[in-house]
Amino acid sequence: MRAVWVEDWTPFENLTLQEVPTPVIGERQLRIKTQAAGVSFATSLVVQGKYQRKPPRPFAPGTEIAGIVTETGSAVTKFKPGDRICSVLDWGGLADEAAAMEVNSYKIPDSMSFQEAITFTNSYGTSAAALTWPHLLQVKAGDWLLVHGAAGGVGIAAVEIGKILGATVIATAGSNEKLELAKAHGADHTINYRDHNFRDVVLEITSGRGVDKVYDPVGGDVFMQSLRCMAPEGRIMPVGFASGTIQSIPANVLLVKNLTVCGLNMGYYMGWSPDDVRYEYEDRLRALMELMFGWYEAGQIKPVIGAIYPLEKFQDAMADVLGRKAQGRIAVVMNEEAKRHGFA
Amino acid sequence: MRAVLVEEFKPFDQLELKDIPSPTPGPKEVKLKTQAIGVSFAESLLVSGQYQRKPPLPFVAGCEVSGVVMETGPGADRFKPGDRVCGLIDWGSMAEESVAQEVSLHQIPDSMSHVEATCIPGSYSTTTAALTWPNLLRVQAGDWLLVHGAAGGVGLAAVEIGKILGAKVIATASSAEKLDLVRAHGADHAINYREQNFRDEVLAITEGRGVDAVYDPVGGEVFMQSLRCMAPEARIMPVGFASGDMQCIPANLLLVKNLTVCGLNLGYYFGWSPQDMRYEHEDLMRGLFGQIFNWHTTGLIKPALSHVLPLSQFREALDIVLTRQSRGRVAMALDDEARRLGIGA
Repeated sequence: MRAVWVEDWTPFENLTLQEVPTPVIGERQLRIKTQAAGVSFATSLVVQGKYQRKPPRPFAPGTEIAGIVTETGSAVTKFKPGDRICSVLDWGGLADEAAAMEVNSYKIPDSMSFQEAITFTNSYGTSAAALTWPHLLQVKAGDWLLVHGAAGGVGIAAVEIGKILGATVIATAGSNEKLELAKAHGADHTINYRDHNFRDVVLEITSGRGVDKVYDPVGGDVFMQSLRCMAPEGRIMPVGFASGTIQSIPANVLLVKNLTVCGLNMGYYMGWSPDDVRYEYEDRLRALMELMFGWYEAGQIKPVIGAIYPLEKFQDAMADVLGRKAQGRIAVVMNEEAKRHGFA
Repeated sequence: MRAVLVEEFKPFDQLELKDIPSPTPGPKEVKLKTQAIGVSFAESLLVSGQYQRKPPLPFVAGCEVSGVVMETGPGADRFKPGDRVCGLIDWGSMAEESVAQEVSLHQIPDSMSHVEATCIPGSYSTTTAALTWPNLLRVQAGDWLLVHGAAGGVGLAAVEIGKILGAKVIATASSAEKLDLVRAHGADHAINYREQNFRDEVLAITEGRGVDAVYDPVGGEVFMQSLRCMAPEARIMPVGFASGDMQCIPANLLLVKNLTVCGLNLGYYFGWSPQDMRYEHEDLMRGLFGQIFNWHTTGLIKPALSHVLPLSQFREALDIVLTRQSRGRVAMALDDEARRLGIGA
């Protein structure tokens, strides 16, 4: 099979597609004929060995896939060949076939395309956990929710889920085109943070009160300025650092202003931490996926795929991600799904 | 009457006791015969103008009070003369008589002394909110709770309330004598952080898992090391900066380790923020105080009194707090409460 292949830690641009043996599946694993895979900023770190988690080399990068089950391990009970699923993998996504853990796999609705399905385990999953789990942002009806980077994969998901939960959503992004997208997905107010000081605009929109919840995949100064337009008992979550700057949060500001900062690493629940806890959290994650699939089937969430590339054009896919030109997620497709899109 | 009067913002040790007219209660206000006054670190900031809240000059120092109602102003009908009450007031407690808004006062149980009552509005209410409110530390039965500065006022309260909630409490303090005190108040494990690396000890006690909640009045490096002995989904609350260092928290550490940092400024609920919200939060505060009074009546909490001095020694009282000589509460007693304790004027 074809796979993007990492033998030594190297910048993503040095990687090539190679012919490698198909993966062997364990007793609690599924063999997947992969139809779509996601590429993300984290993928570019993993291949350089700069991510907190380092796969054993050689390996194919890529952790979010959707495809068709072709074979099941002897202990698998939830799936059978032919099932349409999405999975989160430890690695191995950018290839024609993958070995997925049963515990990390989910049957997808008939109406959902494979490339839509790759957005659920990570982008939608992170945003849904962040907004709904009681120890995190606890977004509820009537809240003011501020979403930064609102045209990105997790940002769009947060805008949509915020609206489902009854919040009033203020979305920020760096271009008017991106803001149009956030608006089309339900944002009540949009702010171009290149043209405006978003803090002043947020305070104006909320009549000086500030927002109740902030979801921030951008980080750096965007996070620090957000602390200054939050209401007492406000909650803020750093989800990533797309700005390239990792902020240090002054503890006294949190204390004086009654603010809470929530950290969420979805990888922990998927089994990516030193203590592999994926089985302990299986029920919680299946419930989250069911919740999101329900929203999808009801037409309340509409995953945005900014561009689709065939597997052999994986470098173009990553260039779109790193150039931050993308709206929503970038998908790489292979096998039948590549043919369906007219790729040779 | 005698009062610690602040005519201009200056260090605490330059203030003097002066004779000034007794205050008159306005609408919705209550006048108290002061019986006991709490002395805390924040007082030194308030009188020197370094606190986020600045009373209009001149004013009488002191925010924590317990006393007996003398008279009530127009529209103040919750209390009657003779009632024993405590509260966190805007300013003015360091005097023989003080005036407070009725909304800020709470009737204390008969079994509670006035000096004990000075522990409730600051230390116990902050700690109870921190440990029990669902948006904050949410300490549950079976949780591991780490309490720093555990021999101080809020620290001891956290040890006691943690035990009431069913947590396993690990307490840190800086001397063997302080550790004895925290054990006497219920701590399951006590660590001297001058002699031992508390992070390693906590990981050993919890078999490598780390704690579920951290209550930290110390700050600085103690806070930063705490982040490294916490379980996934654990909560940590900075309550103060007794170490003198205000830490900055790397956001990526919270993200990678699934940690939550909760801030609590109880002054917001007492009406000390730019938008005065004391009436909006009155029910919440009365519920909080009622819970604490119940715990006291049933013997579950025992406010620890470190030093009780007369009003004339207000400088010495604050010095004890600032030099961290105290084990629990430093208070001043007046009138009947001073006579009961055999303290002079």
